[in-house]
Amino acid sequence: MDAGGVGGAGDGCFEKMETEEERTELLRDRFRLSVISIADAEAKKLGMQVAEPVVACIADLAFKFTEQLAKDVELFAYHAGRKSVNVKDVILSAHRNDHLTSLLRSFSRELRDKEPKTERKRKKSFEKGETSAPS
Amino acid sequence: MDATFDPDLIHAIFKMVWSRRAERNEEIDVVDIEVGAGTSKKSRPTTANPSALRVSCELLRLFVTEAIERTAIIAEAEGINKIEPTHLERILPQLLLDF
Repeated sequence: MDAGGVGGAGDGCFEKMETEEERTELLRDRFRLSVISIADAEAKKLGMQVAEPVVACIADLAFKFTEQLAKDVELFAYHAGRKSVNVKDVILSAHRNDHLTSLLRSFSRELRDKEPKTERKRKKSFEKGETSAPS
Repeated sequence: MDATFDPDLIHAIFKMVWSRRAERNEEIDVVDIEVGAGTSKKSRPTTANPSALRVSCELLRLFVTEAIERTAIIAEAEGINKIEPTHLERILPQLLLDF
């Protein structure tokens, strides 16, 4: 199976495409299941029911949103000269919405605070520069 | 703890998008004469750190919960306790703008 470069014509590429489509569908299905559980939990909290087509639609939109997010954070990381996407890239993707940005910032701060103590001590002294530890 | 997305699932979706993009870029680079630091960067796959994935999960979770919350408001205003597609239609433009 001598399929030339990527995207070249030939059996090898066709097989690869089919598997990729299958993989995408699998991810989409798993994703939809997550959306269903999150949406149902939220609706229950509000004492409401949700029609199935509504959840399916939200799932599709959220999946597209995820794909777009992937592109955005990749571009931001690349723009910063990095190959690895970090938290700042994700928060930057929400820059058009101040409220959303601050929600993500507090979430990331909470995440950092939950980290193991050694990591935290290093960051804390680095960022705050407070004379906390009595020697 | 609220239900949220699995970071591994989100990571898998990201990787799928990134590899799609990498394949397209490879095609373009073959024709491109301006080869240099840029090309070598692109040929290595993009990665994401665990915290970034967790924050991404949160962002997506907010998208879903916001959609539900906004549609619920509309349904409630109509005195109905079931969220229907027409409710989603009403809030969709603003939701997409806000995200």
